[in-house]
Amino acid sequence: MGLFDSILYGFQVTFQPTNILFCAIGVLVGTLVGVLPGIGPAGAMALLLPATFRFPATSTLIMLAGIYYGVQYGGSTTSILVNIPGEASSVITCIDGHQMARQGRAGPALGIAAWGSFIAGTIANIGLMFVSVPLARAALSFGPPEYFALMCTGLIIVTYLAQGSILKAVMMALVGIILGSIGLDVITGLPRFTFGINELTDGVGIIPLVMGLFGISEILVNLEESLQREIFKAHIKNLWPSLKDWADAKWAIVRGSIIGFFLGILPGGGAVISTFVAYAVEKKVAKEPQRFGRGAIEGVAGPESANNAAAGGSLIPLLSLGIPPNPIMAIFFSALIIHGIQPGPLLIKQNPDLFWGLIASLYLGNALLLILNLPLIGIWVKVLEIPYRILFPLILLFCLIGAYSMNNVIFDLYVMIFFGAAGWVMRKFGFEAAPLILAYVLGPMLEQALRQSLLISQGSFLIFVSRPISGIALGFAFLLLLSNLFPYFKKRRKEYEGFKE
Amino acid sequence: MKALDQTSSPFWLLVSLSVFVESIRLGVGTPQNPGMGFLTLGASGILGILSLILFLQASLKKEKLKAEPLFAGKLWRRVLFVLVLLILYSRMMPVLGYLISTFLLMTALFWILERKRIVWVFLSSIMTTLITYFVFSKWLNCQFPDGLFGL
Repeated sequence: MGLFDSILYGFQVTFQPTNILFCAIGVLVGTLVGVLPGIGPAGAMALLLPATFRFPATSTLIMLAGIYYGVQYGGSTTSILVNIPGEASSVITCIDGHQMARQGRAGPALGIAAWGSFIAGTIANIGLMFVSVPLARAALSFGPPEYFALMCTGLIIVTYLAQGSILKAVMMALVGIILGSIGLDVITGLPRFTFGINELTDGVGIIPLVMGLFGISEILVNLEESLQREIFKAHIKNLWPSLKDWADAKWAIVRGSIIGFFLGILPGGGAVISTFVAYAVEKKVAKEPQRFGRGAIEGVAGPESANNAAAGGSLIPLLSLGIPPNPIMAIFFSALIIHGIQPGPLLIKQNPDLFWGLIASLYLGNALLLILNLPLIGIWVKVLEIPYRILFPLILLFCLIGAYSMNNVIFDLYVMIFFGAAGWVMRKFGFEAAPLILAYVLGPMLEQALRQSLLISQGSFLIFVSRPISGIALGFAFLLLLSNLFPYFKKRRKEYEGFKE
Repeated sequence: MKALDQTSSPFWLLVSLSVFVESIRLGVGTPQNPGMGFLTLGASGILGILSLILFLQASLKKEKLKAEPLFAGKLWRRVLFVLVLLILYSRMMPVLGYLISTFLLMTALFWILERKRIVWVFLSSIMTTLITYFVFSKWLNCQFPDGLFGL
């Protein structure tokens, strides 16, 4: 099947009524999650995953994808109207988006965020189609050393791009690898680190782990703070940006889309980093950089385009190589495994309906977001007005149900509560959960690839540097770690951390 | 952050030592034939070294060591209360069943922040419990425990 036929086939799959419904549910839930602080995309996906067991894998994946980019859209609404980012990927939108709202330009800010997201999402989909298939073909020749090297590089990039200390991020990645090794050994099939607890034989479940570290800990952090927030009450009008707004924002959208797409492909890149880079680029290329922070529309268009493009781009390593590049893709990875599908280079060949259906659904989802969300902006503003004292018990209950319904085991609730409390404490000590989750998912694959490589090479570690792809990947990772020692990069990183702060 | 890092690093060192010892017990194997504890030995070893570096880094920082209260001025009692409630819920659900235990949990959670409107608290708890029960148990076929009273 050629590319054109494949995408047509994808649309046939997507336009089945069940899949349209799942796509619509996904984008609506995603927008809702994005609007509400307290539960992020990873938590929301983990929450809904057990409920999708009885539905086909394609529909489930379409819904999860809808949640992912719906969140990117919804997050911008709170950033612009409340100056509180619903999601980490919308933090940067607060700066100029809320200023625009204060100047009576909430409508154009929301409008350009929506249109930017739509255009960027579409560009990312096209990139996804053109990059995934050749990459998957190339990946067929990869052996365990290449996979080991790529996963190591991914983990190192994740730690390098961590928001806080690299040292702590590496420590969290190592803890993730250790956590991932709990349960049956991948080669001998014997239990390890189970401490005699039968429920641990299958390992620590990803759903309770993610819900604990992202969902429960976020709620606990919010509970500690004052629960008041001020919502911008002015009437929202002119959601369609003016010609001048379009002229100002058009290149920001293009640049944001390209930055987002490529950073999305990079392990650890994802939506959050891309927004910061897009904003920095816009400020750098602007003729009047002093306008930034005072309501520059490019400061909204660039980051909002970047986070949606990154959502599309991050599907590439997962679908082509079977390597999740960030914690959200790790949930996707788990969803595929739960439905009996092995992500990787053979996915496109063995499950064309899932692959092309998912890609086509991204077009549909982006269009639905635009059609549903701009007219529904009033409803999202109303949602923002729901007091947190009502929201938090509901979110907690959904987390409990989600963790329990995965295996119908009470033990999973304890795991979730434990990691919820651990995540809350970890935040206080400046440890991030993202590298831990990614390493937890990659850990078993990493171990298998390492042990297989050593068996092939009869114990020689040189196998990782003597093969070109693994050698280059590991060399790059090593340089990346080394770069942190050089004053230039050290200064840049400090600037980046300060910028994020 | 100095005091916090000086506190957290010994904890991670302890974790790494425990995993290191357990990895040796599981069997490290040889590079030709890696054993069950091969990767975890390496991971825990590096974690231990990094914990020491973190401790040294924090200790050598020029900033003065000052007490950094983790919970001062924050509503941390509320957090602890919620955590205790969640543990109690997990213990009670198999005994009391989904409906009763969820109703009790929701009442307590709504009550934390809305103490004055007790009728509202009860009504919200009943509504939430029943709606989630029908959505998850009847529609999505989740198998909730029935408990002693068969509810």
